[in-house]
Amino acid sequence: MARALRFRFSRDERLKYLAHLDVLRLFERALKRSGLPVSYTQGFNPRQKIVFGLPMALGLTSSAEYADIEFDEDITPETFISRLNQALPDGIEVLDAVPLLKKGSIMSQITSAKYEVSFDVPQIMDPDEINGIVISFMDNEDITVMKKGKSGSKPVNIRPLIYSLSARKADGDGYVLDAFVSAGAENNLRPDLLMKALSQKTGLDLSVGSIHRRAMYASTFNEWKDPFEVAND
Amino acid sequence: MMRVKLDDTLLLQVEKPAKYIGNEWNMVKKDPESVEVRFAFAFPDDYEIGMSHLGMKILYHILNRREDTYCERVFAPWVDMERLMREKGLPLYTLETYTPISEFDIIGFTLQYEMSYTNILNMLDLGGVPVLAKDRNRSHPFVCAGGPCAVNPEPLADFIDFFVIGEGEEVIHEIIDAYKDWKGSGQDRNAFLELVAGIEGVYVPSMYEIVYYDDGTIMDIMPKSGKVPDTVRKRIVTDLDSADFPDDIIVPYIGTVHDRIMLELFRGCIRGCRFCQAGFIYRPVRERSPEKLNELARSSVEKTGYDEISLVSLSTSDYSALPEFCDNLLEFSEKERVNLSLPSLRVDNFSLGLMERASKVRKSGLTFAPEAGTQRLRDVINKGITDEDLKSSVQLAVAGGWNSVKLYFMIGLPTETMQDVEGIADLGFSLIESCRGIADKHGGRGLNITLSTSNFVPKPFTPFQWEPMDSIEVLREKQYHLKDLIRKRTRRIRYQYHDPEISHMEAVLSRGDRRLGRVIHTVWKLGARFDGWDEHFSFERWQQAFEENGLNSSFYANRRRDFSEVLPWDHIDTGVNKGFLVRECQKAYEGDLTRNCANGCSNCGASVYQAGICFRKDKNNSQGG
Repeated sequence: MARALRFRFSRDERLKYLAHLDVLRLFERALKRSGLPVSYTQGFNPRQKIVFGLPMALGLTSSAEYADIEFDEDITPETFISRLNQALPDGIEVLDAVPLLKKGSIMSQITSAKYEVSFDVPQIMDPDEINGIVISFMDNEDITVMKKGKSGSKPVNIRPLIYSLSARKADGDGYVLDAFVSAGAENNLRPDLLMKALSQKTGLDLSVGSIHRRAMYASTFNEWKDPFEVAND
Repeated sequence: MMRVKLDDTLLLQVEKPAKYIGNEWNMVKKDPESVEVRFAFAFPDDYEIGMSHLGMKILYHILNRREDTYCERVFAPWVDMERLMREKGLPLYTLETYTPISEFDIIGFTLQYEMSYTNILNMLDLGGVPVLAKDRNRSHPFVCAGGPCAVNPEPLADFIDFFVIGEGEEVIHEIIDAYKDWKGSGQDRNAFLELVAGIEGVYVPSMYEIVYYDDGTIMDIMPKSGKVPDTVRKRIVTDLDSADFPDDIIVPYIGTVHDRIMLELFRGCIRGCRFCQAGFIYRPVRERSPEKLNELARSSVEKTGYDEISLVSLSTSDYSALPEFCDNLLEFSEKERVNLSLPSLRVDNFSLGLMERASKVRKSGLTFAPEAGTQRLRDVINKGITDEDLKSSVQLAVAGGWNSVKLYFMIGLPTETMQDVEGIADLGFSLIESCRGIADKHGGRGLNITLSTSNFVPKPFTPFQWEPMDSIEVLREKQYHLKDLIRKRTRRIRYQYHDPEISHMEAVLSRGDRRLGRVIHTVWKLGARFDGWDEHFSFERWQQAFEENGLNSSFYANRRRDFSEVLPWDHIDTGVNKGFLVRECQKAYEGDLTRNCANGCSNCGASVYQAGICFRKDKNNSQGG
């Protein structure tokens, strides 16, 4: 039982065409339908007290999204999971939840994420050859690309934001890039920007397919930790 | 059964792909193989517009309550999506099952706005359904249409197999039943049309012959056989409380124009503003009971998770039980953290109390609709409000903490002079002046006003149905004059106005005859779609289409009709007599006001329906009872 929970949820192909704000609205309404005693902020325009770890870009599927939520009454993770899932549409599912004993902010804790990016190239290539190209891409000390921000594009060196990168053959057609990159409120590296840089620097003619987030981490003292582990840090 | 396959190569290339995937909360899921009738409810505009439309929600709910029928939705794909669909050879599909619309039994379009007509042709074509009704055979769906614009169905007569005039809740069942009978009978397509032509409120255009004079006006509208009626009378629901109203509405993923619960207080309007088509075609006024509304509010919030309810009607403050109802509703909405929006509150009986209570939940901008700038012209249009009413309402609003007010006007109203146009600016100036001290006293900032003018478009079944519309040039001149006046005087007033070219085409289509079918067909082939959207509308394209068909748009928009002229919609009967409309038009010229339905009956004719306000016992009515 707890007044606050941290939970993990997934989003599959069916709902990947929603933008981040649509996902927020979807949760807001699902929570209202669920009848769960969600806490609201004070003030003129009360909002539900729910904070998400990372924004979900349109097109992204994920098996590891996180959010923190507060309630007016104690609630068990089991009750929360079953009641919210009943009120959520097919395609988004709460998988797990842990009590949050003190107010943390998942948003400020998340610092990295793992992605699987499916891609293809025009000619058939040996996966090892592609992986070799990816490794040599990582040998660059400076990978500067134009990053779009609120005030126009500016050059950013994304190399320090990439922790590991490797390519392999996909189960079906094409290839998969496994990427472990910086994420979060500061220094977020979007996988689509990474793919653009990879294509520009290596000359690989990449056509990017689906992007899947399979993990996100919080870091404490240079250690990557599961967000559930640091829930009460 | 074919299902359209959607994938990233399509959906990741278009804006807001969530418009095209369906699967929203409360979407109805059925096995298409298990029903007898598949009905595609088609909204000829973008998803974000269409999903805001209450009529679709009502009919979707009603049709899907039938076990023998599956009603699915289809919208006009935005231009980016359409381009890709055509490139890939994908047909237009419904959101429920991704089935091409050509596989349906009936496709039903709702006609909310004349400028969406070209989208109807485009949607049929994209769906693999012949655009012209005469080209369809037994393998094709029937294409029907209803909604407010269907009161003049003629411009779409070439494309639509049958029209439904009036409210659809009851007649739709009769149509579905007739379809099932026909489907089992093995008879030809025409047999079904004869069957539905016998249903009150259904109009089958191919069964009528229109004869013209040499000058292009109509000599006669004649049924081709004794099997169809001379006039088709609109259908209404007499008792709103017993009419099915949805509380399990679909909750879209993306933001739509009206993304909230809509509670329909009543249909019709007691006021009788002479320019307003809705005020005449939805007569008589019928209310839903406060008990029923409160019940609907609660169950809707529970089933949708929406945090906003909007009260829907043509004039919220005319709801007879408004104070009690709002008390009860506000109690619920505050507890459940649901916002309440109260649109269409009239200026004259705007109450400070209600305003204050509603603002506990949220204080948004306020809108008023004086419609005309001078008292003389407001009397002409039977808008029974005065400058004083308006001034005191706005002062109350400013004292209550609102500092932005939007005022809606029309330019080009019958008898309007430049003095009336200037009256719009003067009204704005005097409101700013009259509120000068008030805001300071209440610690607020000064009043900001937005003046918005739309271009008056004469509509069928109104007292102004015979009136010429102002030419595009005259409308522009009035707009520029007003803009100039305001800019020279103050920065506290913003002025917004509408494109007169789009209004001109709206006027043409709303009072058009059957010959316009050729123009609509041509302009669509020239690339017209989403004509209601500034960025897609092309006046030149429409002009070209008129030229190619030897017709003149001014004949429809800018010509004064004689009271004795046969109008293209004279075979449609909305319950309101033509004689009443003539009298109202003559009174308009004299500036004579007509009392509203709550104050007494003016014998418009709508009492033939024996419903609603015409028969309300507590009102001092000379008619009915």
